[in-house]
Parts: sequence; C-alpha cells; structure tokens
Amino acid sequence: MSAKMNLIACLTAALVLGWVVPCLAAGEGADKAFEALKTYDWGTDRNVLKPIDDAVVASHKDAAARKDLETRLAGVLGTDASRAAKDFVCRQLSLIGTAPSVPALAGLLADEKLSHMARYALERMPCPEAVAAMRDALPKVKGRVKVGVINSLGVRRDAESLAAMVALLGDSDEETVAAAVAAVGAIGNAEAAKALEAFQAKAPKSLRLAAADAYLACAERLLADGKKAEAMAIYKALAKADQPKHVRVAATRGLLAVAGKGKQ
Amino acid sequence: MKSKATMTRREVLKGAAAMITAAPYVITSAALGAGAKPAASDRITMALIGCGGRGTEVIGGLVASGAQVVAACDVYRDRREAVAKRYQGKAYADFRELLARDDIDAVLNATPEHWHALVSVEACRQGKHVFCEKPLAFTVYEARTVLDVARRYDRVFQVGTQQRSDRNYRFACELVQNGYIGEVKSVFAEPGGTSRHCDLPAQPVPPGLDWDMWLGPAPWAPYHEKRCVNLYEWWNWRDYSGGLMTDRGAHDYDIVQWGLGMDGSGPVEIIPPDGKGSMLTYRYANGVILESGDGGWGTAGRPGALVVFRGTKGEVSVWRGGIKTDPPSLADVKIGPNEIHLYESDNHQANFLECVRTGRRPAADVAVGCSSVIVCHIGNIARWVNHPLKWDPVKLTFPDDEQANRMTWKPMRQPWRV
Repeated sequence: MSAKMNLIACLTAALVLGWVVPCLAAGEGADKAFEALKTYDWGTDRNVLKPIDDAVVASHKDAAARKDLETRLAGVLGTDASRAAKDFVCRQLSLIGTAPSVPALAGLLADEKLSHMARYALERMPCPEAVAAMRDALPKVKGRVKVGVINSLGVRRDAESLAAMVALLGDSDEETVAAAVAAVGAIGNAEAAKALEAFQAKAPKSLRLAAADAYLACAERLLADGKKAEAMAIYKALAKADQPKHVRVAATRGLLAVAGKGKQ
Repeated sequence: MKSKATMTRREVLKGAAAMITAAPYVITSAALGAGAKPAASDRITMALIGCGGRGTEVIGGLVASGAQVVAACDVYRDRREAVAKRYQGKAYADFRELLARDDIDAVLNATPEHWHALVSVEACRQGKHVFCEKPLAFTVYEARTVLDVARRYDRVFQVGTQQRSDRNYRFACELVQNGYIGEVKSVFAEPGGTSRHCDLPAQPVPPGLDWDMWLGPAPWAPYHEKRCVNLYEWWNWRDYSGGLMTDRGAHDYDIVQWGLGMDGSGPVEIIPPDGKGSMLTYRYANGVILESGDGGWGTAGRPGALVVFRGTKGEVSVWRGGIKTDPPSLADVKIGPNEIHLYESDNHQANFLECVRTGRRPAADVAVGCSSVIVCHIGNIARWVNHPLKWDPVKLTFPDDEQANRMTWKPMRQPWRV
C-alpha cells in the first residue's frame, strides 16, 4: 500500500473512531442512566439522568435513535419505578413522544398522582392518538383528575370532545362545570356557541363570569374564522345591561372588532 | 367608581366619627387629598397578591403614588397577615376569593413566575386592572393568553419592567430610533443563564404554608425550603421560572426591543451558545444581531442591566443609573419636536395609576411585556434543544421544529388553567 493510501486509511479510521467512540460512550451513558432511573427519587442527584436528557437532544436528527429512546422511556411507565422517575419519563416523552407511547401514558390518566404528568406528555404530543386517549379517558375519571383532562382537551381545542363537554355543563361538581365551560369556549365553533348560549341563560351566579368569558372566547374564535354574524350575535347578547360592566366593555370591543374598528 | 368612592368616604367618616367622642372632629389632610395624594374618594383600591420582598416593595410605591390597599393574599400565612395589618386590609389565602370582591379596582401580581399568567387572567376576568411583576408569563402560550384576555376586557395592564419609566433608557432608545448611531448592527445584553431541574429532597411543610397552592399549576414535588422561600431560590428551578433568562432577560430584552422598535414583534432566528465561548445569539429580520451573555448582571465589572446598541455611526450603552455614548457628543442631543419621542413616564407605579384613571395604555403595556418575554422564552428553548431555531414572531411558532413548538407551553396541574 502506498504511503498516501496509508495516510488516507489512517485518517478515515480516525474520523470513524472519532464518531463511533463518542456514540458508544453516549450509548453507555444512557444505559447507565436508564439503570439509575430504576431507583431514582427526589433527593437523588438529577445529573445521573443527564445522559438521557443529552440523548433526547442529540436524537434531533436521528429518527432511529429517537424511536429507540422513546420505546425505552415508555417501557419505564409500566414498572414499579418511583413517581419521580415516571415524572422524568413523562417530561421526556412530552418532547419526543409519538403514537406508540400513547398507551403507556393513557394508562396513567386515572392515577391521581401521575395523571398530570401523563397529560404533560399527551397534551404536548401533536398526534391524534394522544388527544383521543384523553377524550376516551373522560368518562372514566373523576374529580380533579377529570378537571385536568377537560382542561387539556380545551387547550387542544378538541372539537370531537364537544358533545361530552356539553353534557358536563350539567354536572353536579362546580369545578367540572367551570372547566367544561372554558373548554367549550376554547373549541369555539358554532355548536359551542349554541351550547354556551343555553348555558348562559341558566348559569348559577358563581359561574356567570366564567360563562361570559367562555362565550367571549368563543366569539373571538368565530371572528378569527370569519364567522362575523355568529360572533356579532354573541357580542350583542353580552352587551346587555344585565352583564357586569367589564363584560359589556368586552362585548362593545367585540362589536367594534366585527365592524373592523377599535384600538388594539 | 361611584360605589367605591362612597365606600371610601364611608370608611373615612367612620374613622372620623370614632374620634368625635375623644376629640374635636378631625378630617386628615390625606383624606382631603393634600399634597401629592389624591383624596380618599379618588384613590384607586388595590390588592397585593404575592406578599414576598418584591411585592411589598412595589405596593409601597403604589401607595406612595396614591393607591389604597384593601387586601393581601399569599400562601404563607405570616406574609399575608403582615401586609393586611400594615394597610388595615383583609388577608386571603386564596386569590380567587380576593378577586371576587367588587370594591377592588386593581391588583399587584407579585407571585412567583409560574403563577403570573393564572392570577393575571383571573384578575382581568373579574374586571380588575393589573400591575404584574415581570416576567409577564412563564411560557409563550401563557404570555399570549394574558395579552388576549387583558385586551378582551380592555384592562389597564402594566408589566413591572420599570426601565420603561427610566429617562436614561428612554433617551438611549430615542437616540437609536432616531438614527443617531446610524444603522444598528448589533446589540449586547447580559441577563444570565437558564433554570435547571430541581432534585431537592423532601422536607416537612412548615406550618402556615399551603404547599399545594404554592405549587399551583406546576408539577407536584415534595416541599423543600430551597424550592420556594424567596425569589433567589425559586428562580433556579425550571418548573417555576426560566431562570435569569426570564428574570433579568425580561428587563434587558425589553430595552433591546424598545430601542430596535420591535415592540409587538421579535427576532426570527435564535442560535444557542456552542459551549466553546459563543453567546446566545438572536437575529432580527432586518439583520440586527443580539448577543446575550450568560454571565449575568455585574459580570467582569460591567454595570447591571447593561444594554449596548452598536451602529454604523456610534454606540450607546445604558444601564441602571448611567448612560454612555460614542461619540460622547450624543449624550447632549436634544430630541427634536419632529423626531421620534418614546412613551414618557418617570414613575412606573404612578403611571399605572394614572392610566387606570384615564384608560390610557401604560408605559410597559401588556402587549410590550408579551413580546419582550417571548424573546426570553425562545432563547431558553433554543438552549434546551441545543440547535439553531427559526421563529415566526407573528404566528408565535417555530416554523420547522415540532419539538421546539412543544416547549412553547407547559400543561398545567389540575385544576388550573389560563
């Protein structure tokens, strides 16, 4: 082999090793971190998990590595790892989770201690399976856990949940009703407007402001979608004298916005 | 404000009546509005939500400018009771009960960062005007929501970026906007770094603290004093703060935005530090580069809250208590009547109260606070993903990065929502 060829071979080997060795080291680091996750709890040095954070960051352009990480992370949720460990996993899945992680996360939605972190991931995951899982959980959860699921569906403006939300406007728990009202306002389509109009007329005193706010939010959504007539109807209804002053101010601003006027 | 005026007079007369048995009838000069204080009947009634160090300091400034404090709320019982006692108001453990009062015109929101948006939007929904300590909100989504709700109800909303009421900063930005340093090429600020994940162990919750309420929308975690006892603790932790990037960045980037005329807009690209000495770098659509140092205020002897604008014809450096120009003659410029004059306010608290009376937008209006804090958040997100990002300041999204977009909000713990 000529000297030139030897040099090229050596440089190539150095380049490959320069890439492979760090990758192997990174892989070993992540393996150790997954092992540490089994016994991780609050009070343990968070840095033991840093290789997983780093692996998530590094997987930005490596779909295969990301998929592998996701599978390993989701697998932790079905073990007896601590709440703190599962909290960590949910945070990572909130960044890289896709449809295959949904079942493991959905399994935590009814868990009072872990429901929020399951939603932390599901709410951020753009795949339709994530929002479907929360929608499916709605009739199966109760109390504040239910309120959390409603809130997440509201953030996602899940129109497919609307019928379930409208049914919850008649719930006996006021926190649930308040959450459902807000979610219906966030969904903000014509059917939502009808439901809110009906609810407004009979809302208990304690929920009147929440109902008005949801109705205003709905009007804003309709206006943004070009549905001026529907928005105007809401603003006219809320401009009446029986509404608090600041609600009437909001309704007046809305009417000006429909007319293309008013300060921003 | 007719009903509040009536109540306030009633309170004044009640106090005066109590003295009749002991002394001749007396109405204090403060009640009559002598000196700088408005008459009792014209005072804006306020409440303080978040009675820590900054809250108690700022509420003092609002009172000195003529506000009347009638209520205080904090999750630490001692703090809320101390403030309530000082101002002869009522103490509340739950801000929602306080906000339901119809005799409160405005609130000072001095809660920890992760609570800012929640308290602010609820206050607006209850018809209150808001003075919210900076940073406006904990995430991009929350900032936008606060703006939307504040505008929905047309509330006067001041963000606590008091440098907007500082003549040095205003003059510096006027020099820049009027072209006195030529075409701006770059800006330097040094707010500091980001927050980190908390791994503190559990401690017993001290009596008098509602830990669940302190956490609020943040993920549950066991109590530890160093998570929460004051600003200098909770600003370290990512579940409650963006770190110095938001705490100081809210000030620094606000001035950058002001000087560049970028209120309501923002940068279009963010490049995180490379770990080998480069700074966090933002690029605006007009090519201006903002370099942001990690060292924080006071690094290498530089003054705190320093912002340096560099142009083709000169440079202006401004900080708390000082300004320096190159060439030095720029410091003597008088901005002419036909030139750009920026919003003039010399007292941030008084400006807020004046705007509550008149309906005018304040110096650090919520829209300004929104676009400024978003600069902080997108910088943090670039750090956390550790690769360059493009940003759309109109749509408030990263056009080609789904993971970064997931970071523009943090799902809240039940039952909380904005």
